[in-house]
Amino acid sequence: MNYHILKKDELDGFIKKLAGKMKVCAPVAKGHNNFAFEEVTSAGGIALSYIPTILPPKKYFMPPREKLLDFDISEGKPKDTASLEAGETAIFGVHTCDLAGIQCLNMVFSERPRDYNYLLRKEKVFIIGLECGGYCDEHASCALVGNHYPNGGYDLFFTDLGDRFIIHVNTQKGEELVESFCLAKAASADMIALDKVREGKKAVFKNEIGVEPGKLPEIFAKGMEKKVWHDIGERCVSCGNCTNVCPTCYCFDMADTINLDMKTGFRTRTWDSCQFETFAAVAGGENFREERAHRQRHRLYRKFKYPLDKFYRAFCTGCGRCTRACMAKINLKDTLKALAAESK
Amino acid sequence: MKTENDPVTIAAKPKVAFFDFACCEGCQLQVANIGETLLDVLGAIDVVEFREVMSEKYDKDYDVVIIEGSITDHHAEERIKKIRARAKVLIAYGACAATGGVNGMKNSFDLDEIRKSVYGDDYKLFDSTPTRPLHQVVKVDYTINGCPIYPPELIEVLKCALRGLPYTVPDNPVCAECKLNENVCMYERGVACLGPWTKAGCNSWCVNNGNICYGCRGEVKNPAKNANDVIGKYNLKPELIKNKFDMYNKCKEADTNGNRK
Amino acid sequence: MTEEIKNSNWKLRKGQIIAAKQMTASEKWFDIKLEDGDLDHEPGQFVQVELYGIGEAPISVCSSPTKRGSFELTVRAAGRLTKYMHGLGKGDWVGIRGPFGKPFPVKLMTGNDLLFVAGGLGIAPLRSLINYVMYNRREFGKTDILLGCKTPADMLFGDEIAGWQKRLDVNFSCTIDRSAPDWKGNVGLITSLIPGVSIIPEKTFAVVVGPPIMYKFVIAELLKKGLPERQIILSLERHMKCGMGKCGHCQIDHPKNYYCCKDGPTFTYEEVKEAKKL
Repeated sequence: MNYHILKKDELDGFIKKLAGKMKVCAPVAKGHNNFAFEEVTSAGGIALSYIPTILPPKKYFMPPREKLLDFDISEGKPKDTASLEAGETAIFGVHTCDLAGIQCLNMVFSERPRDYNYLLRKEKVFIIGLECGGYCDEHASCALVGNHYPNGGYDLFFTDLGDRFIIHVNTQKGEELVESFCLAKAASADMIALDKVREGKKAVFKNEIGVEPGKLPEIFAKGMEKKVWHDIGERCVSCGNCTNVCPTCYCFDMADTINLDMKTGFRTRTWDSCQFETFAAVAGGENFREERAHRQRHRLYRKFKYPLDKFYRAFCTGCGRCTRACMAKINLKDTLKALAAESK
Repeated sequence: MKTENDPVTIAAKPKVAFFDFACCEGCQLQVANIGETLLDVLGAIDVVEFREVMSEKYDKDYDVVIIEGSITDHHAEERIKKIRARAKVLIAYGACAATGGVNGMKNSFDLDEIRKSVYGDDYKLFDSTPTRPLHQVVKVDYTINGCPIYPPELIEVLKCALRGLPYTVPDNPVCAECKLNENVCMYERGVACLGPWTKAGCNSWCVNNGNICYGCRGEVKNPAKNANDVIGKYNLKPELIKNKFDMYNKCKEADTNGNRK
Repeated sequence: MTEEIKNSNWKLRKGQIIAAKQMTASEKWFDIKLEDGDLDHEPGQFVQVELYGIGEAPISVCSSPTKRGSFELTVRAAGRLTKYMHGLGKGDWVGIRGPFGKPFPVKLMTGNDLLFVAGGLGIAPLRSLINYVMYNRREFGKTDILLGCKTPADMLFGDEIAGWQKRLDVNFSCTIDRSAPDWKGNVGLITSLIPGVSIIPEKTFAVVVGPPIMYKFVIAELLKKGLPERQIILSLERHMKCGMGKCGHCQIDHPKNYYCCKDGPTFTYEEVKEAKKL
């Protein structure tokens, strides 16, 4: 076990030093209890106590708009080059729910055929996690999916011990960084303090919906025709907020842009949403998911059913973003509770 | 890439003309805000009429006409029909042309009453009709929504027009783009915003700059059936949203009576 | 900071149209030669066709892999991209990704009787298999082909079909939805042809391709004949955007989480009968 210590008054120096090596992004306050991951150069602007950011850190792994190809059709035969636009980046202060989200995306994009844009960009991101001592707010359901404790997925992981952070070093890359920053090794008193924090969390985090997580696959297996989908479908405005803010939603669309010379251009991928009207429509006019109720149902099946079969884990991280961002007050915890109640 | 059966009949350097009807000409002014790309645009087209920047008149047919403004009297109706007859491609440019825009507020009142209040007792001397967006009068090939238009969208539509390709106006709510810009939701600030019902495509331009969405691009095709949940979440009244929508979307009723295109 | 991705799965193979022909008012046929060799597909697979600067569309390959040197597509002008593609002709270049998707289970079908049921444009993907079977005719048992079109003018591959009609080793029947003046054949929905085909259910594979609305009725007829569910093969339609089981567009509402582009587009009825829509 490799743990180091950073005194809180040394955090600013740590961030500045890190920013000298690469771009550093961290949660910053945007007002009205909203936060976003943005570039920082010192610890001053970082919101150490924050609720999940508007967009999850997936934006650094899979940008909302990303170039896949450049092409040139000025001569008869077209030419194209696949390119990656990415630089070395550190993300500081990633909560355990978002670490889980990144792990989910890693699984999806490493599946064959592999997505090298994602995989190569991922190699350039240095991840520093930050432990949560309590719930962000009433919308979080991290205990339901077991994401209130760290389960890997980071290079370094910070836990607040009052006047200092204890840092778990999880990778060689992380090791090299703390060595170069000459951070002290943790003492046994620090380890005891860490254990105490973890022990204390047991009393704070409780299953938020009163349904055994192990029962969810069965509830969903039998849940296709439940009324709850129609109830939330009636309210949904199809704005796609729930999927845009979801740390594990990765559906995308692709489009070509031609430059004004009409000879060169590029192909991009952009985030798409299964909640949009035409997401499952085909050119002939058929729409395979025309009803909002079916689109909402599809979204939750992609969190609690399909990935459990395929990747053995839920693709809900418990962050609560979909509930916070919903324009129509569709609440994930309430939806799960209603589904469970209907399935009794 | 194409060598035969080319459906694009537009010349290599197409003749493009700007015209305006009832409007503030603010959308034409946006051409100046295109920035660096403006030179590339001017390299790709040949502007033959643009009242705001040139006085020449052109007497041949146009490849593309870009029309700002709505049709609000009989004279305008005749004029737009003549322009249409001379144009291969017609682009409805900006909210007034595309949806009627703010001019549509006129349609909330009895026509004679509103004429009287504007022109006084001699109102009958002044020609006036209910406000109509272009597609309720002539065939429109491309629509650029917005008050004002979003300059990058003008460029995308122009490129489509030059290649003879259809342009699809995004039909998702503005929220879809606003969220990607990581704006703090206007409703979180306690302000009612029309983003959840308004067509995207503007990159949530207004909200990015601290304003609400006024619905200037028109309503999405299939808006949520009732606004109560959105509004209720923030203790606002549904009438507030309806009133806000009336500012830009009063001409919409005519579309449901079969007047589209 | 831009770097080239040499092994990107988004890279496009370059294909040149070596022949093209308008087949009906809305369908055009293209013969495409790849600069880097054969497509190396199997019957039932599809490709993504990139029209540079416009976008990509998934199109079924309608030629058999036994045809070397080039492959064929039949494109219906349904959307923005396919309409534009109708303007292309001999000599034009397109980008190609693929082939993608699970092919028809040709190996399982070997030694069995075959019943092909094609509705409308469904003949295009099915033709890749039919021509494969014709080429390897002795590997398969009795073969029936049933074809349904709206009108005689909508019939695709008319010349080739005339050839199938003449062959003694294939039974071919055709029906049109609405009667036409110069039409002497069957009139009615394709389902009306099925009762007339004699089959031995245990050793027959039915391959059904057509518009979504057709499946329900055709499958019901086939089940009535006693055909086992796993010997009814379908090719489902979805908007396959990435072709790699990632973009999410073609996912089928089914407990098994099928991606049409990767787990399909061909499925046995047994596999997809729980789908909310076929």
